[in-house]
Amino acid sequence: MNAALEHALQDWYPIAMLGELAPGERKQSRVLGIDVTVLANDSADETDSTPPITVRAEGAPVHVQQAFDHWWVCLGNAPKPLFSIEEAGEADRRFVPCGVVRVACSPLRAVENFLDIAHFPFVHTGVLGAEPHTEVYKYDVKVDETRDEVIATNIKFYQPQAAKSAEGGIQTEYIYRVPAPMAAVLYKTCPLKPEAMDVIALFVQPLDEQTCDVWPWMALYDDTSTQAELIQFQQLIFLQDRSILENQLPKKLPIDPGHEIPTKADYTSVAYRRWLKKRGAYYGALEAQP
Amino acid sequence: MSFTLHDYVLSGNCYKVRLLAQILGVAYTVKPVDFHPGKAHKTPEFLALNPHGTLPVLESDNTLLTDSSAMLVWIAQQFDTTHTWWPTNDAHRLALTVQWLGFSAKLTESIGQLRLHTMLNRPADAATLNTLSTENLRELENHLCEQSIRGLAFLTGDQPTVADIACFAYSALSPDAGIEHTLYPAIRGWLHRIRCLEGFLTMPGIYEAHETRNEHTAAS
Amino acid sequence: MTTQPVSLSRDLAEKQVMRAELSDVDMAVWRSASGVVSAWENRCPHRGMRLSHGFVRGESLACAYHGWHYNCEGACHYIPAHPELEPPKTIKANLYNVTEASGIIWVNAVGTVSPVTLPSNTQAVRSVSVHCSLEIAAQAFKDYCSLSPITANTRTEVVSESPYVLALKAPLPANSPTPSMQDKSNPVSVFIALQRVNQTTTVAHITASEHASETDCIALSRWANKVRTHAEVSVGSTE
Ligand SMILES: N[C@@H](CCC(=O)N[C@@H](CS)C(=O)NCC(=O)O)C(=O)O
Ligand code: FES
Ligand SMILES: [Fe+2]
Repeated sequence: MNAALEHALQDWYPIAMLGELAPGERKQSRVLGIDVTVLANDSADETDSTPPITVRAEGAPVHVQQAFDHWWVCLGNAPKPLFSIEEAGEADRRFVPCGVVRVACSPLRAVENFLDIAHFPFVHTGVLGAEPHTEVYKYDVKVDETRDEVIATNIKFYQPQAAKSAEGGIQTEYIYRVPAPMAAVLYKTCPLKPEAMDVIALFVQPLDEQTCDVWPWMALYDDTSTQAELIQFQQLIFLQDRSILENQLPKKLPIDPGHEIPTKADYTSVAYRRWLKKRGAYYGALEAQP
Repeated sequence: MSFTLHDYVLSGNCYKVRLLAQILGVAYTVKPVDFHPGKAHKTPEFLALNPHGTLPVLESDNTLLTDSSAMLVWIAQQFDTTHTWWPTNDAHRLALTVQWLGFSAKLTESIGQLRLHTMLNRPADAATLNTLSTENLRELENHLCEQSIRGLAFLTGDQPTVADIACFAYSALSPDAGIEHTLYPAIRGWLHRIRCLEGFLTMPGIYEAHETRNEHTAAS
Repeated sequence: MTTQPVSLSRDLAEKQVMRAELSDVDMAVWRSASGVVSAWENRCPHRGMRLSHGFVRGESLACAYHGWHYNCEGACHYIPAHPELEPPKTIKANLYNVTEASGIIWVNAVGTVSPVTLPSNTQAVRSVSVHCSLEIAAQAFKDYCSLSPITANTRTEVVSESPYVLALKAPLPANSPTPSMQDKSNPVSVFIALQRVNQTTTVAHITASEHASETDCIALSRWANKVRTHAEVSVGSTE
């Protein structure tokens, strides 16, 4: 087995939303090129110790846990801990799993796009950005050594409609976190509660190195919008990204410098690529592991 | 008379209605339905409104419509004072408009279904849908080639009708289903003409015609 | 590698960009507001976005992803995220050789572009894509000249051919009401320029003599569609 796959096997990936499958229902899926079946068990009564779902890869059950309104799986024999999102425990937030979207792109390209703000005026025109407000001001990026995460802070961008709840354009502040190679979490100005920040995450299930299922999830302060409105706002945004992601060449993410040309606005992406390289997370990357 | 549209942001059929309403400057109320992942269009409440379990649904004081082509006709007939979008005073064009409205349903059944499969993991026979989609796009391409030889920019003549709107949605969205426009030059030109119409509205997968904005004067 | 056609000039208007594939080379072909045609590698140097998804503003092609602007020489001259920055000269799109001749856009992805010489007084009919190799497509167009003429009671004759171009002489409908058809001394010529998209896809770019009428061109367009079916059936039957 190659090292990139061996490395990726020890991480956790979303496979279904909680409650997606009715008891007894089964679905086929794929993780890291391996076919898996997901079965929602019929638990007869409360004392029954059967777990709510069983996921099998090539016949053998794999590790399963629930977090952030999704079921997560790990196919490796030495699972790393799943990252945390503290806001998932704040009871006054609205939790919004947005459903799966399939994208023909590298899982790493899907994450990198989520960390990028410079595309807002062109890809999310009139919503997350608009010409002539295209400038990306200097911001800070670092690797948080204790959590081993990429963190970008002090990001500001003008947005015509920053959220479903926004009335007109606002200067929005962002913080980004990459807590795992195939997950990204952002914190942005909450239009209805300026002292707090909304949380939006992208959980990526790698089907293989060039295809992924993406599960966006949000934890918001918004007591006016319906669940359908919140989901559709997020789908509007993400499906605009999908048309970009399916048209980036090469399909796999070039991690080594030299293939593509970053500018200051791309510091988060540069830090992400370095961080992937350092930890050996080459699944979905152009380069073979050195 | 205004109306309420039971809507899903990624639905091509809902988009047709939003697009024509925007072009004609008609105000309406949107009611988002959680089509994906919630399957809210299959709940008893929704089925009581529309037994077909499909979106869009248009509701007004005296009307309830469950077919997007019918909605386009209803909107054009009431709000288009030029009578070009639903050309009732030209028998030939009116008949062609009905013919291409019929064709638009074939695009929904092929490209529309393939797109739900490719994008939202809806189970389907992708190979068959792919063949059907190609057949339909070729039929449209053949017709638009002939129109361009005749010097006509749109499906039924020199001006767009509701049939152009109806066929536009899934033709434009075919890349979402993995079918590019590269091999369809006549369709490409026609899509572009529609994107440049006054009042055009975008949706995910169909971008604004950024080229119509003013040129950037180089910073140097 | 040879010079090949990628589009009819008519089908790439000012301020338009399209994608073309040539023997598996993916390219963006675009026309500036003033009419200059360019063909580039279909990859933005910034983050790899296909430039064929971009948009033309004046004499620049802008990328759909972050809006970087490239001039007709391929040099990036504007990065919207850094409006004050003068982009380094090293940021450049990869250019191919391109030219327009006889109403057709020709490209050579690896060398100088030298289109097949065709008369200049032609009009565009259509481009039609066929799911088969270039050789099978060429054969199908030739077969159909005699097997199923463009209309009844006429024969079409192949007057010249090269790997990428077929020139046909096509007397169009005998019963056609159009003057061009009754003029036996001045038959309509048809030119078919073939593009090898890849091993299994070919595009035929079809032009005809200037004096071909609207009816003639429509007949030709339908004929081309029939040839496509014929070519694809023959591929299907050998698979
Ligand atoms: N004839 C209807 C068809 C509408 C239709 O098929 N809508 C799709 C969404 S675009 C739908 O609701 N499908 C239901 C489903 O697939 O579950 C129309 O044109 O409005
Ligand atoms: S990828 Fe082209 S501008 Fe960024
Ligand atoms: Fe985006």
